Amino acid sequence: MASAYNPIYTDVPEKDVFALHFLQTLSNLRTQNSFSSPDNKTSDRVKKIKKAAYVSMARAAGGTNRLWSRSLLHQAAKRNNKNVRFLRRKRRVTWLMRRRSNRGDPIEDVAAERLRNLVPGGGGMETSKLMEETAHYIKCLSMQVKVMQCLVDGLSPK
Amino acid sequence: MDLTGLKWLQQHQQMVSPEFLQILGSDGREELRKVESYLGNNIYDTIDGCISRTSSFQMEPVKNNEENRVIALGNKRKPEGKRETREKKKKIKAEDETESSMKENSNMSNTETSSDVLKQDYIHVRARRGEATDRHSLAERARREKISKKMKCLQDIVPGCNKVTGKAGMLDEIINYVQSLQQQVEFLSMKLSFLNPQLEFHINELSSMMADPRSFPLHQQGSLDYSVINSNQTTSLNALKMETSSNWDVHSQCLYSNLRTDSVSSFFSLK
Repeated sequence: MASAYNPIYTDVPEKDVFALHFLQTLSNLRTQNSFSSPDNKTSDRVKKIKKAAYVSMARAAGGTNRLWSRSLLHQAAKRNNKNVRFLRRKRRVTWLMRRRSNRGDPIEDVAAERLRNLVPGGGGMETSKLMEETAHYIKCLSMQVKVMQCLVDGLSPK
Repeated sequence: MDLTGLKWLQQHQQMVSPEFLQILGSDGREELRKVESYLGNNIYDTIDGCISRTSSFQMEPVKNNEENRVIALGNKRKPEGKRETREKKKKIKAEDETESSMKENSNMSNTETSSDVLKQDYIHVRARRGEATDRHSLAERARREKISKKMKCLQDIVPGCNKVTGKAGMLDEIINYVQSLQQQVEFLSMKLSFLNPQLEFHINELSSMMADPRSFPLHQQGSLDYSVINSNQTTSLNALKMETSSNWDVHSQCLYSNLRTDSVSSFFSLK
């Protein structure tokens, strides 16, 4: 796969980068007060861990270079009531809007809509860009899943 | 262009297609503009009307002039792939009906003196004109090709997409895969939270990692649902194993030094 010609630019860093970021985020979580208190509902904890996983994945995979990671980080920051300012790339909105109004293919439109709901930050993208983002997102997600799986395997009682 | 030529053009209006304009070349086009002003835009109306049933005149109507035209084509052709594909398709469609008309044209043009221009400028220059209205379809086609190319790349990434063909099925597969990955993340995070409520695992885990990077399950496949991965991916994973085993020590050492203070302090604070 590494040598296959891929017009989409999908280079995902290796597992240890993901692992590093994930563990760092988890340690940050732990230093927060709300986490170590015992009277914590499991669902909250789960949610926090999940959020940590996504945020660390976004940071590891591309930071603000990728649209999906950018929107993920933005969402996470908003939840923490932080005001984060990213460097905005120039958005050709008018061209995009005009393009999206010319949709003529109902099959791919429906599926593209579903994809847009799944992939973070997919709302404002054109279909071809959506495909690129999906590819990168899938690679990063699978990497993150592997890291977490290994973590769980390492931690589970033998 | 003398009047006989004009009359001929008027009579054979159905043949005056954008490809014919191509054939005319720049000089011919200028003359045709004059003709247009004379005829009161009739020709251009029919030209626009004829676009749907255009036929390409590019083949072998005037064989002796082919070399000339090829050269002119080389000068005037714009290197746009989409235009060319369009030309080719139309050529395939309508070859039969043009040949007779081209012979007609060549016959007619042979008799006229000023039609030397016509006869010479027969073949291949790519028209700008006819594509003004077709630009949207061309753009649409280019866009669709881009999207299908990207979907092929996606097909390589998502395992199990090879069996399904067609855009809809593949997109459904991709959507299912993304959903399953997200569910796996959620499930694993739940497992993590149950396994280790206080997240104190750093020291132990890191020491185990540092001690034996190869046996640590990070370098294995893991028990995933979608463990049916292509062989390409497994080979890259093996390469990864070879490469990163040396890097892992460095990484884990940095991580360990970073986290050691945190974990130790929390450890002490809890006790």
